[in-house]
Amino acid sequence: MRKKTVKSIALGLTAVTLAATVLSGCGSSKDSAESGKNGGEEEVTLTFPVWDLATNGYLKNIVDGFQKEHPNIKINMVDTAGSEYMNKLTIMLNGGTDCDIVYVKDPDTTASYMKKGQLEDLTSYIEKDGIDTSKYISYDSFNLEGKQAALPFKTDYYVLFYNKDIFDDAGVQYPSNDMTWTEWEEMCSKLTSGEGANKIYGGFLHTWQACVQNWAIQDGKNTILGPDYTFMKPYYEMALRMQDAGTIMDYSTLKTGNIAYASVFQQGTVATVPMGTWLVQQMIAKKAAGETDVNWGIATIPHPDGVEAGSTVGSTTPMAINANSKYKEEAWEFIKYACGEKGSSYLISAGGFPSYQDDTTIGEICKADGMPEGAAEALQTTSIVLDRPININSAEVNQMLGEEHSLIMIKEKSIDDGLKEMGERAKEIENS
Amino acid sequence: MKRKSNKTSRGMTLTFRQNLIGYSFILPNLIGFLIFIFIPVIFSLILSFSRWDGFNPMEFAGLQNFIDIFHDEVFVGAIWKTAYFSFFTVILSMAASLGLALLLNQKIKARGFFRCALFFPYVASIVAVSVVFNAMLQPDYGPVNEFLKFIGVSNPPGWLASTTWVIPGLIIVNVWRNMGYFMIIYLAGLQNIDQSLYEAAEIDGAKGWALFSRITWPLLSPSTFFVVMMLVINSFKVFDLVYLMTQGGPGNASTMLSQYIYNKAFISWDYGKASAAAMILFIIVGLLTAFQFQAEKKLVNY
Repeated sequence: MRKKTVKSIALGLTAVTLAATVLSGCGSSKDSAESGKNGGEEEVTLTFPVWDLATNGYLKNIVDGFQKEHPNIKINMVDTAGSEYMNKLTIMLNGGTDCDIVYVKDPDTTASYMKKGQLEDLTSYIEKDGIDTSKYISYDSFNLEGKQAALPFKTDYYVLFYNKDIFDDAGVQYPSNDMTWTEWEEMCSKLTSGEGANKIYGGFLHTWQACVQNWAIQDGKNTILGPDYTFMKPYYEMALRMQDAGTIMDYSTLKTGNIAYASVFQQGTVATVPMGTWLVQQMIAKKAAGETDVNWGIATIPHPDGVEAGSTVGSTTPMAINANSKYKEEAWEFIKYACGEKGSSYLISAGGFPSYQDDTTIGEICKADGMPEGAAEALQTTSIVLDRPININSAEVNQMLGEEHSLIMIKEKSIDDGLKEMGERAKEIENS
Repeated sequence: MKRKSNKTSRGMTLTFRQNLIGYSFILPNLIGFLIFIFIPVIFSLILSFSRWDGFNPMEFAGLQNFIDIFHDEVFVGAIWKTAYFSFFTVILSMAASLGLALLLNQKIKARGFFRCALFFPYVASIVAVSVVFNAMLQPDYGPVNEFLKFIGVSNPPGWLASTTWVIPGLIIVNVWRNMGYFMIIYLAGLQNIDQSLYEAAEIDGAKGWALFSRITWPLLSPSTFFVVMMLVINSFKVFDLVYLMTQGGPGNASTMLSQYIYNKAFISWDYGKASAAAMILFIIVGLLTAFQFQAEKKLVNY
């Protein structure tokens, strides 16, 4: 018993990895080779790993729509819990041929997949079919060393959510679509009122480092890869100042209380929340279900001084082809469909934000039921900077930034020391 | 002649055939052990000397992984934090469980109820435990700090939101979780002690402390040995509690060895360094256990 315990300590993790590698073979596209001889054309089945299918229903619509147009291609969706998805996908890819379509939840991982040679270069497919790449948000970000690793599917970006009732009660004008962060900070102090359990906070910065650091990279001049992080200083100063003034909720309260940004906004205890457009979908759904009665609106995200309004930060979720897939042509057909006009329209009707955009896209998004007034103007963007660059070190740097971020926010480290430490650790990661 | 008759026509000895039956009984366990423990152990050992991304062929890296992790402040910090966490967990859990066992070994009312109540934390889901303690230790309005303020502590600790107090916080939760189980082990040990020894000592005029230090403690030493060893092993490999309560934060103030291994393997996807760190943990626990076995020979009296 003792011996076994000792051994299992050091090796439990490896055991899990190995077991997972062995077992993940079960989900493979075994029936890929089956051919429908009756129709004359060969029938193929593509494996398409997805996450949280129940809440991402548009994927099913896209698959159904695609299968109607391509009766010889069957799409087999493999559903995984969101938190496990990236591990599962990586293991599937490491296994070789377990999946055909690679839907990358954490987009920066695309870089390491590409480096390992797991993703097909899409350049020739795109040229052959004459795809208009200028319609895709952050298309070029997925061009790595001259190879197009993936096609953007979905792009969410930061906007400012606000609670109209709190503005009305405080007699403050609704936020405009052209506002600086300094103006936002002032606005938050006017909107803050009350004490204790009844306190209304003017602003809200969620515990993610992104909710402070994103505003520093909004101008597109720097990225979270540093390695000099001094450019983030003004935003950390703002966050700590607001925390001290009590116009935003305290970091440690949020963190230790595990408080969700959506619930505080839906309870009507905060006036403004800078957050990603994924919250739009959720607000519409909650409001329709009668779970919140917040009278909400959206405005363009505030911008740094001297930066054009409509510059924002976002994240693009792309789709790619497994380099080891037997059916790359068919997989390309699916990606082209899902990331193209038709796939996007299914996404839009579910309140989602496609990467494929033309003049009508924002208008279409705003037609969704429950969308607040003025959304069309608020959702206009002039540029969308990726929150995490598509780089092999992004995930590791981001983990490190999260650690240092929490130390600054709970004031265990001064801003200068924290930023300096970030720089040193970023250099270490880059050199390792 | 006799020896020859022991051999079958195929040349198997009788002993071997008899052993074969024995082996077949342990086979199911052995297969599981080989597939899920032994092979991964060997694989992990190989990994710790290689550079591997999980897909392309492995490259031999020599001792580079070990050199790298020992230059990594987070790893070196993790060793010290693990040691700090383990030291206090072991001492305090042992003291708490022994104390409780002594109390509940006496004839008091509702003894069964108290024993069950104290054992309960050990069977409670660790997820539930961590959620509840997260709320209990909340710095501003958590019950623990409210109580501390009530008894006059003007500046109570920030617990999980403070780099200084996060490990003490985790130690408290871990001790609370452990004490019921080890109390049961101590209770079993206490009940094995022959009552006549106490009677004899009392006739000779021994009282309280003398009874404990001359009879109870020496006769409990096999239990103590087991308790200490299990506690050392458990606290060195602690993962679930830390992952659920702090995920190694704030910063990396509570990043202990298992958390470090997890981060390296599943965030950085660096199997080589993760395995190297796992090997170091293995060596540390192995050495401590070997040391305790040596100590057992000298210290355990019965």
